[in-house]
Amino acid sequence: MEFGPIWRAMMRNKGGYLLIALQIAVTMAVMVNAFAIMQERSIKMSRPSGIDDANTFSLVSVGFKPDMDAKTLVQEDLDLLRGLPGVVNAVETNSFPLRQGGWSEGLHREPGVGKSVSSSAIYFVDEHGLDTFALNLVDGQNFTPDQVSWDSDSPDFWPATVIVTQALAEDLFPDHEGSYVGKTFWFNDENPANIVGVVERMQAPWPTWTGVERSMLVPLRRESEFARYVIRTEPGYRDELMVQVEELLSGSNKDRIIRGLGSAEEARKLSYLGDAAMIKILSFIVVLLTAITGLGIVGLASFSVARRTRQIGIRRALGATKPAIIRYFMLENFLVSSVGVVAGGVLAIGLNIVMVQAFALTPLAWYVIPVAMIVLWVVGQAAVAGPARRASAISPAIATRSI
Amino acid sequence: MLNMKNVSKVYRTDTVETHALREFSLIVEEGEFVSVTGPSGSGKTTFLNIAGLLEDLTDGAYELDGRDISKLNDKERSRVRNEKIGFIFQSFNLIPELNIFDNVDVPLRYRGFNADERKRRIEQSIEMVGLGSRMQHLPAQLSGGQQQRVAIARALAGEPRFLLADEPTGNLDSQMADSVLDLLAEINAAGTTIIMVTHELGLADRARRNIFVRDGQVSDNAPELHLASMAAG
Ligand SMILES: Nc1ncnc2c1ncn2[C@@H]1O[C@H](COP(=O)(O)OP(=O)(O)O)[C@@H](O)[C@H]1O
Ligand SMILES: [Mg+2]
Repeated sequence: MEFGPIWRAMMRNKGGYLLIALQIAVTMAVMVNAFAIMQERSIKMSRPSGIDDANTFSLVSVGFKPDMDAKTLVQEDLDLLRGLPGVVNAVETNSFPLRQGGWSEGLHREPGVGKSVSSSAIYFVDEHGLDTFALNLVDGQNFTPDQVSWDSDSPDFWPATVIVTQALAEDLFPDHEGSYVGKTFWFNDENPANIVGVVERMQAPWPTWTGVERSMLVPLRRESEFARYVIRTEPGYRDELMVQVEELLSGSNKDRIIRGLGSAEEARKLSYLGDAAMIKILSFIVVLLTAITGLGIVGLASFSVARRTRQIGIRRALGATKPAIIRYFMLENFLVSSVGVVAGGVLAIGLNIVMVQAFALTPLAWYVIPVAMIVLWVVGQAAVAGPARRASAISPAIATRSI
Repeated sequence: MLNMKNVSKVYRTDTVETHALREFSLIVEEGEFVSVTGPSGSGKTTFLNIAGLLEDLTDGAYELDGRDISKLNDKERSRVRNEKIGFIFQSFNLIPELNIFDNVDVPLRYRGFNADERKRRIEQSIEMVGLGSRMQHLPAQLSGGQQQRVAIARALAGEPRFLLADEPTGNLDSQMADSVLDLLAEINAAGTTIIMVTHELGLADRARRNIFVRDGQVSDNAPELHLASMAAG
């Protein structure tokens, strides 16, 4: 092809081309790293919580009569909820995954005063917890009813059995191989807890916590005028049951109010609001930057066509076909873009190394840079197409008509 | 070889219609050296542009090398310009950002010659116009006469049958003009058909045949030219 003369002609008029190449390079560096951040955020957002987000909702019952019988009320409520058509199961608990508020506890591998070796989110449940949260039990068993106790009947507060997530078990016993069932750890420095079951996954209430995958079910029911219920429904029944349950519970006992009605899906959305906004902002920036670069290329090409009107006419007179004129500007743009994307690739990798070190970003996937290169090449060719077409319409008579 | 019959060319703008050529008829045979003279605005350049396929004609018939030009599409016209016609312009029309070598290379690339063939032709034609030592120079680094020689080299590198020149010496002093004309005469002697537009009667005289254009038509009586010839003779 005619790369040689095009390149040499460009080198005699570097300024504009260099600026555009630089703009392409910066766009590419930003594009690639923005993409890396977006990808990381969206991976984070798509992590499963372990529960059945789509068919789960929660509400809180707050009693306001000073001497009310909380135990009885909670049991009545649960009986009512579990008996409702469309409800799979329900449980009284303190929180649920991604609620952004909950209980966490430091854990020890040995009794006695010492540093905790791990920490975990705590979900207080009865034997219906496992089913209500739709957890995948990979080892051991669910709590038996006699393992579940009321906190008012439990002198040490912490019960002796727990169900933990796989991630928590691995963190607690990093050197252990085989089943974690039967292993013991300690709450604080004196309350042993025996693992009776391991679930594949159940996230903590806090999505930004590095230990988000570490949580446990604790078979303790809390006698309190403040009770949070988590309810799992058959698919498709959630929205109508949310309305129905709120009315039912409000009506069944006039000494309490129902608040905090919301689905697990909403809670999930809310907890990733910042990440979703970040993805939107970054996409906007990338699109904007790419558009500005595209417009810059259109501008440079238009200027370049206008400046070379005469020479285009001369080329036509000397035998250039219209496609040959278009090709000239396409090739010229391809060269500028190539300089830009190669420089941009180097810049992008440099920026990524800095970001990986400074913000613990995961390194770039191998395909991001080639894809960004292709995108910018295509944007460049598209941007230059209009001016190139206009150039090809210049009459060869220019050669004799303008002095 | 060139046969124009009743060719007319009308330029239309919103307000005016200019009849640049009217019923223009001319036959040029292979190997001729024809000069075209006439007052400014008489249609000389228009004729040359149509002859060189740079512009369409409005009416009439034009055959070049036995081909009906009106039947050609843009791609075919480009090809005819590239292969059969060499152009020399008053303002040289070299491409300013290309050096001499690359300038002469332009039509050869459109022709599709391979690199060796192009190099051979470029060097040969630049040598022929006596600028072999300036191949890497930019046009702006050469004098007007030298630039016009490069333009001639560029026009001849593809070995066209036809050389069209519009006021080729218009921007040159008389000494340079003479040497350019010597070159053209040499080229014609080697077999290339030349049509040269000029308003300088002394130069027109060096052609073997003179055409006088007035009001867009070939004029039979060209008194000034006749007088000039007599004065020269
Ligand atoms: N593109 C154009 N649009 C309108 N009028 C034109 C155009 N080109 C030439 N003309 C007119 O056509 C006539 C012939 O012009 P031209 O062939 O350039 O004359 P010459 O070369 O003999 O001086 C002139 O009146 C000129 O103004
Ligand atoms: Mg003229």
